Amino acid sequence: MESQVDVAVIGAGPAGVAAAIKAKEGGAENVTIIERDTQPGGLLHQCIHDGFGLTYFKENMTGPEYARRFIEKAMDLKINFQLGTMVLDLTAGLNVTISNKFGIQTLHARAVVLAMGCRERTRHQIMLSGTRPAGIFTAGTAQRYVNVEGYIPGKRIVILGSGDVGMIMARRLTLEGAKVEAVVEILPYIGGLIRNGVQCIHDFNIPIFLGHTITEIWGLKRVQGVTIAKVDSDGKPVLGTEKTIECDTLLISAGLIPENELSLKAGIEINPITGGPSVNEMMETAIPGIFAGGNVVHVNDLVDNVTLEGEIAGASAANAALANVISANRKINLKAGKNIRYVVPQTISAQKETTLSIRVGEPAEKVMLRIGGILSKPLRVVKPSEMLRIKLSLDQLQGLQEGIKDLEVSCAKRR
Amino acid sequence: MCKKEVGKIIKEKNIICIMCPMGCLITVTIDDNGDILRFSGNLCKEGEKYAKAECTFAGRVLTTTILTQNSLRKLLPVKTNQPIPKEQLMDAMVFISKLKVKPPVKVGQIIVKNLMDMQVDLVATDELPM
Repeated sequence: MESQVDVAVIGAGPAGVAAAIKAKEGGAENVTIIERDTQPGGLLHQCIHDGFGLTYFKENMTGPEYARRFIEKAMDLKINFQLGTMVLDLTAGLNVTISNKFGIQTLHARAVVLAMGCRERTRHQIMLSGTRPAGIFTAGTAQRYVNVEGYIPGKRIVILGSGDVGMIMARRLTLEGAKVEAVVEILPYIGGLIRNGVQCIHDFNIPIFLGHTITEIWGLKRVQGVTIAKVDSDGKPVLGTEKTIECDTLLISAGLIPENELSLKAGIEINPITGGPSVNEMMETAIPGIFAGGNVVHVNDLVDNVTLEGEIAGASAANAALANVISANRKINLKAGKNIRYVVPQTISAQKETTLSIRVGEPAEKVMLRIGGILSKPLRVVKPSEMLRIKLSLDQLQGLQEGIKDLEVSCAKRR
Repeated sequence: MCKKEVGKIIKEKNIICIMCPMGCLITVTIDDNGDILRFSGNLCKEGEKYAKAECTFAGRVLTTTILTQNSLRKLLPVKTNQPIPKEQLMDAMVFISKLKVKPPVKVGQIIVKNLMDMQVDLVATDELPM
């Protein structure tokens, strides 16, 4: 079976739903979201904690509440949801092959939005040695058990990694009566937002071991404990600093990876730093007509920003579908300079106002953020866990020299 | 802002500021009347405001789940519609763990009015269809 759609959005998480709404509002008639789960909303369903929507809605919402706002709007706009549907293949010619209970079908799209989000790094990806007993979960899996399925994964918990999901699970499990014995973080600072460090760890007096890692997992049938050790400046465990912590459960919260198997199938190159496709300010990938937004492009810390990126991708996809794309005749590469890990988008045309997402490499105080010669902004502190969002106005962009190829973003110490 | 040091210092409270990524560790000195004498460690006025608010009322929105009956979903996510004192979080969890809800439930529907006399309501943050 085959059918035509204007815009096909892959993934009904916050990026995908926001993209579909903007595509429809932008004039695309047949907008279809394809989602493998049986309900839209993505990970927000299991994120029952608050802190969502603070920047987008200026309201403090929980994950399900935030998701609902957008899903209801999408329903009102008569966006077509294909739930329980897996995308099997995506081509550079914008053909999307899907599979569901009705069989296999190909959608011919005029534009595609990638919104597959990201997934968790597992024990194996961080090369954690030891036995393979029951009781080792990624933090997000444990979150699903506790908040959706109604199971507590264990009674005495150790969490490896202090990213936001890990810290939120430390609080959640404590509230549910489990004892969080330790949060172990390899870096000398917490990996997530400061708010979560305070409200999830500090509030409950949960022991946190910064600059430590797990060197061994103990137990045959069930986890019985872990060995932790201090790490040196290269992140290598220091001999003689080992300490054993008894526990029955280990949660891994060691970062997220954009999910790009489909992007690769379409022939989109993956940026080795972000783990996602490189995009321009329209959130267009290297393949014309394929756009991307949210955590599939780079891992965000706030859902509000995922929504904003999805919106740009969706609006651009509508323009592409309606064939009224203004071709970008200038292409300027954004280069990551001193203490910058990455900048999204990776290229800009400098013909419209653009907000840059900037991830720094190391925490630093009293710095000057510079974007080429067009913007200098003193900042008191920057941290890798807190994304910088910097708006470049059309005025500033018009100040760029004619013929400029690269624009360097840097974040050096102020003198 | 700070009062003159007349009373006897009885305690110092350490508060991590969440107003910006800096995360200043602010030490608040409090006298025997419970009055704040001074703040130290904060780099800006925002920190003082935050620390003062935390000393007066350290409120947190409690988000958790309630067991369901006669529903395909096992749990209904809920929250307190206002922050509650953080010292009460665990007691509130014990209270909420004994509750059960039946569908239909709408988003924002009050599940428990005036939860444990704290002048806050426990409300549903998702729907529970029939």
